Amino acid sequence: MAPIVAGAFLLGIWELYVRTRLPDFVATPSGIIMAIPSTVTSASFWSDALASLGSIVEGVAFGTVAGILIGVAMGRVREVNWFLSTYIRALYALPLIALVPIVILWVGYQPAARLTIVVISAFLPVAVTTADGTRAIPKEYLDVGRMFGAKAHHVWFGIALPTALPHIVAGIELGFARGITNAIAVEVLASIQGMGMSVFEKSAQLNENASLVYVLALAIFAVGIRSLMIRARHWLAPWYSG
Amino acid sequence: MTMAARTESFGRRVRRLRAPGAPWIRVACYASSIVLLLGAWQALGRSFGVLFVPFTTTMSRLREMLYDGPLLSALAVSGKLYGVTLGISIVVGVSVGLVLARMKLIAAAIEPYIYVLYATPTISLVPFVSVMFGFEFWSRVLVAVLISIFPILLGTLEGARSIPRQHLDVAAIFGSSEGQLWRDVILPYVTPYAMTGIKQSIALSMVGTLVAEFFLNPDGVAAVLLQGTTTIDSAWVLAVTVLVAAIAVVLVGIGELIERYLVRWRHTAVG
Repeated sequence: MAPIVAGAFLLGIWELYVRTRLPDFVATPSGIIMAIPSTVTSASFWSDALASLGSIVEGVAFGTVAGILIGVAMGRVREVNWFLSTYIRALYALPLIALVPIVILWVGYQPAARLTIVVISAFLPVAVTTADGTRAIPKEYLDVGRMFGAKAHHVWFGIALPTALPHIVAGIELGFARGITNAIAVEVLASIQGMGMSVFEKSAQLNENASLVYVLALAIFAVGIRSLMIRARHWLAPWYSG
Repeated sequence: MTMAARTESFGRRVRRLRAPGAPWIRVACYASSIVLLLGAWQALGRSFGVLFVPFTTTMSRLREMLYDGPLLSALAVSGKLYGVTLGISIVVGVSVGLVLARMKLIAAAIEPYIYVLYATPTISLVPFVSVMFGFEFWSRVLVAVLISIFPILLGTLEGARSIPRQHLDVAAIFGSSEGQLWRDVILPYVTPYAMTGIKQSIALSMVGTLVAEFFLNPDGVAAVLLQGTTTIDSAWVLAVTVLVAAIAVVLVGIGELIERYLVRWRHTAVG
């Protein structure tokens, strides 16, 4: 009950403030609702959504697979960790948005630049969380495995990876969040057609309400991914409650 | 050493060399990885030409840009935005988190919206912010704070909510005043939670600074990066990117040190 009252109150303030103080084209809650049907039924909305969200999902998938493989190797083999950790951790600390200009320069002003950035955005957190998760497996698990004659690949993919699953899911979640942001950044900086580009384009055409319908769609996608990840963690690692 | 060493199997020899007391492997790994990367960068740079310049060219360009280029003043502009953003995120994030933990009704009312705003890619709100508040400094601060504040706010809220009942009861039994309660119970308990958020925000404030600078009329380091992209000057872009990476590593390292210092009692208490 309280959230609904608070929500109505906040929207009311927004609506009133814009109507009394700001020019007509500024978005209002009622204007956004009115703009939803025409925006969502337009063909460009769906082609934008397919381009952006498709490349985000594809990029995160690639980045996750690569991140898990490298991460397990880093977590289980000391030498691999020492060899790679300098770069992986430096890149992980770096705001990836700073990489957007150099990636655009190398890949070109085309959708492949967006995919590249999303792959990197997902790869780094997944690699780091997988490495941390597979390194910190309890000694008892390894002892039991050894007693039953586990080979190296059993330890890697039968013990370490399942133990690290909750960490990996957290890494994928982070990868999605960063991937969405960086995909939008590439679209706007390199003028690649997609949802992020349309948010900025519609706003520049003073079509603020339509611009915010796109923002709303992006927010729904982001929230949806987040709850999907929480569900995935319950399903993949029901024993974990952190 | 003679017989044993000769009959030793390959696997056993590898295991002996990899024994925990063999620090040379670690040094060798770090050294070889750095040498290999720089070597590859240098070699590739020589063969690729314009788009991918060698390491040495990048470094000399970086020095050039620092001494008599736009980089130093751009760093000052970005540094100011970064400092203000981080400061506001810490002060507002911690206080709002504490207030929400004490005022249950307000928290119940607005918490869902905080999470929705947190999940929404802030970068997509940039056009809306610019229409509402313009392109100037405080507009940039707003965008950057929206990106960096949530880990602190939510961390503090979680910490303040998880204070065990007994701690508050003991304080009440000994007749603590409200001020003593905050100073001796609540703040020390919340500090590690807030610090975990602050550590994340130290990195996120950089993201926020760059997003604000890229998308609200280019300014600061982001403007310098974009200038290199439009002139297709890869040495320029690479030099700035490497510098930003170095700054990021230092800032994140400082954050980790502060966290370790502030929550040192927690480790000793638990472990």
